[in-house]
Amino acid sequence: MHEQTRAYLRGRFGDYYRRTGLSPPPDASEREWGYVPWTEGPGETMVRHRSLLDLGELGEFLARERPKHVYFSAGRYDDPGASTMSGKGWRSSDLVFDLDADHLPSVVLGEDSYATMLAKCKDALERLLDFLDDDFGFEDLTVVFSGGRGYHVHVRDETVRGLDSDARREVVDYVRGIGLEFDHLVDEETVDGEAGRVSPATNRYLPAEGGWGARVHERLLELAEAVREQDEETAIETLSAYDDIGERRARAMYNIAGDRFEEIERGNISAHTAFEQVAEQVAAVTVAEENAPIDEPVTTDTNRLIRLPGSLHGGSGLAVVRIERADLDAFDPLVDAVPETFVGHDIAVDVTDPGAVELNGEAFDLDEGVQQLPEYLGVFLMARGRAEKAQE
Amino acid sequence: MAIEPLHARYPFLGAARRAVDEAGVDLAQVVASEEAVVERGLERVETAVAEREVGDPHRRTRVELLSYPVARVLVSLVDERVLTRACARAEAATAHERFTEEFATTAEYKSTASGRLTLADLLAEFDLTAAVRETPDGYRVEVGAYLDLAADQWGDEWRLVNRALADGEVRVGDDELLELLRQAVRHRVEEGLPLSVPDPVATELDDEVDRIRETLAELELTREIDTVVPELFPPCMKHLLDRVQKGDHLEHHSRFAIASFLTSIGMTTDDIVDLFEVNPGFGEEATRYQVDHIRGKTSPTEYSPPSCATMQSYGDCVNMDDICEDVIDQSHPLNYYEHRLDESDEDDLVDWRESEDAGA
Repeated sequence: MHEQTRAYLRGRFGDYYRRTGLSPPPDASEREWGYVPWTEGPGETMVRHRSLLDLGELGEFLARERPKHVYFSAGRYDDPGASTMSGKGWRSSDLVFDLDADHLPSVVLGEDSYATMLAKCKDALERLLDFLDDDFGFEDLTVVFSGGRGYHVHVRDETVRGLDSDARREVVDYVRGIGLEFDHLVDEETVDGEAGRVSPATNRYLPAEGGWGARVHERLLELAEAVREQDEETAIETLSAYDDIGERRARAMYNIAGDRFEEIERGNISAHTAFEQVAEQVAAVTVAEENAPIDEPVTTDTNRLIRLPGSLHGGSGLAVVRIERADLDAFDPLVDAVPETFVGHDIAVDVTDPGAVELNGEAFDLDEGVQQLPEYLGVFLMARGRAEKAQE
Repeated sequence: MAIEPLHARYPFLGAARRAVDEAGVDLAQVVASEEAVVERGLERVETAVAEREVGDPHRRTRVELLSYPVARVLVSLVDERVLTRACARAEAATAHERFTEEFATTAEYKSTASGRLTLADLLAEFDLTAAVRETPDGYRVEVGAYLDLAADQWGDEWRLVNRALADGEVRVGDDELLELLRQAVRHRVEEGLPLSVPDPVATELDDEVDRIRETLAELELTREIDTVVPELFPPCMKHLLDRVQKGDHLEHHSRFAIASFLTSIGMTTDDIVDLFEVNPGFGEEATRYQVDHIRGKTSPTEYSPPSCATMQSYGDCVNMDDICEDVIDQSHPLNYYEHRLDESDEDDLVDWRESEDAGA
């Protein structure tokens, strides 16, 4: 990045901070703050272990320093400005989740466009929020577009603030479905032998009330419903697609789906051994399709620094946007995270890495070389290293 | 508040501590003059190590109650992590046994006699009243509280991922709730340890501290493994080592597991680099960095190798055998290795490091 590009971005980031009111996170003065200044060379140096007391009023600080990136800690401390973690005196931490398009199994790097990656990331976010809302019942959630390749969720419910790293890993494993054991999802209920059939000593149920068990149950039920609607031949074909399910077992399942559907509704998988076999395979699919592939270390690190909502991401020139839940469906990061400050006028840039870009609702096909472009696009390209500032 | 039998049965209770405070007990004086208390305190610690519980109560309530703070002082003076853990575990086990029985009989006779501990009392003691709710099929425990108490439980069935979690609550059975309370006791006992012990008290307890140290040494609880015999490694570590040597690319958690395991059994960074370098793909620099990191050289933490539960959750647990399942109860790869070392005839063991030197 050329000197004049850096100076330009820094200046315009300053304009953004002067014009944009920024609300700090709760308990801002108990948190550690850090930032990355605009410096020469490829490496970035983070200035950290600062308290708000060191920085001064946040808005003024940002307008004065005009940093490239700004972070605050998930943790709250007695002395957030102390230079070592042990010296800070940990009090509690937000529970933070990070979804990064780079880490999503569904993303094909080098092939998916930025917009596609972000859309896939938003799908993963929806799945994560299902867990956080329905399973965990969290109430104090802040959803944030990271300004880069993903989303963050900050949970500040009292009940989780004191959790240590190990406990947080359990939360990670839960939303990722790691360590899920089919046998442990199942509830066992002892039943007396019923006359007329070889009765198992225990009935096994997938719990309908919640957890992964309920998710697996729901999918199994959907399968049973689908099969029930099919004619026998099609149904047997459907069921035989599962491993170790031959025609005989498939037929038995088909009959149960027809005659004893209520057992399946109750989650009873003991009706036939085939059910349990299929349920176990359904469980694997459920985990693969419904887990939220969050970035583990972000959640387990109780001292993690997280990008400040409202600040600008120095690697994209996009804003880190706090998203109201009601607005999440309609949220389009490539429109809604474009800072207003950079909209409405053109600047001269020298494009070094041409190609297609979608931004602010417009599609551009850029040629190499000096040209006039909308400023938001110019800033985006320069921040990403795809253009340099040119003489106006 | 007078000292009551309840306090002696559950000496970790806030009420028990207040009773001791209000009775104006001076610990320095107790350890100097009340031999029975010191003796019972020592017995608590020794039984904890040997039998994982704290032994039969002394017939005198006062002695029994005061032996608990004395035991905590002893543990603090010895100041060995294994001892602290063993004592906390034992105190919790004994408490668990007592309250399980007490709750059962209380329910049976609907007794409201004072001097008994109820489930409600115990929940209140650990600030869990709001976090635990009785339901027709057991209890619902608020997830934060659950994680706090279940995170260090052994066994996959405790893992949150395998639980019916709905609307912020985890369903647990009656027995499971009592298991969680056992953990709460364990945390309570460990809280604040080691205490800082005034010199006069410490001096009085010199003999007892020596005895505990001897017991520990005999049991080799503090023994550091410093033997490298790859043939005796647990199947998971053998497998990872094979893969490294074959040049497979290991995921971060797997590399971490094998590197931290090798560190724990006494291998130096150089040893590990040597052992790994059979594999040209395993960059020496990266290995060095990671091992140094695990060792705490480049980070504030010394990392210990993952437990069986963690290995399982990352899919690193493979070829489980009888020792894994029955002997070490799927606890920790190091326990497996230690067991195999104990079983072997020491003279037959060839340390990998020695064999290298011999071959070179």
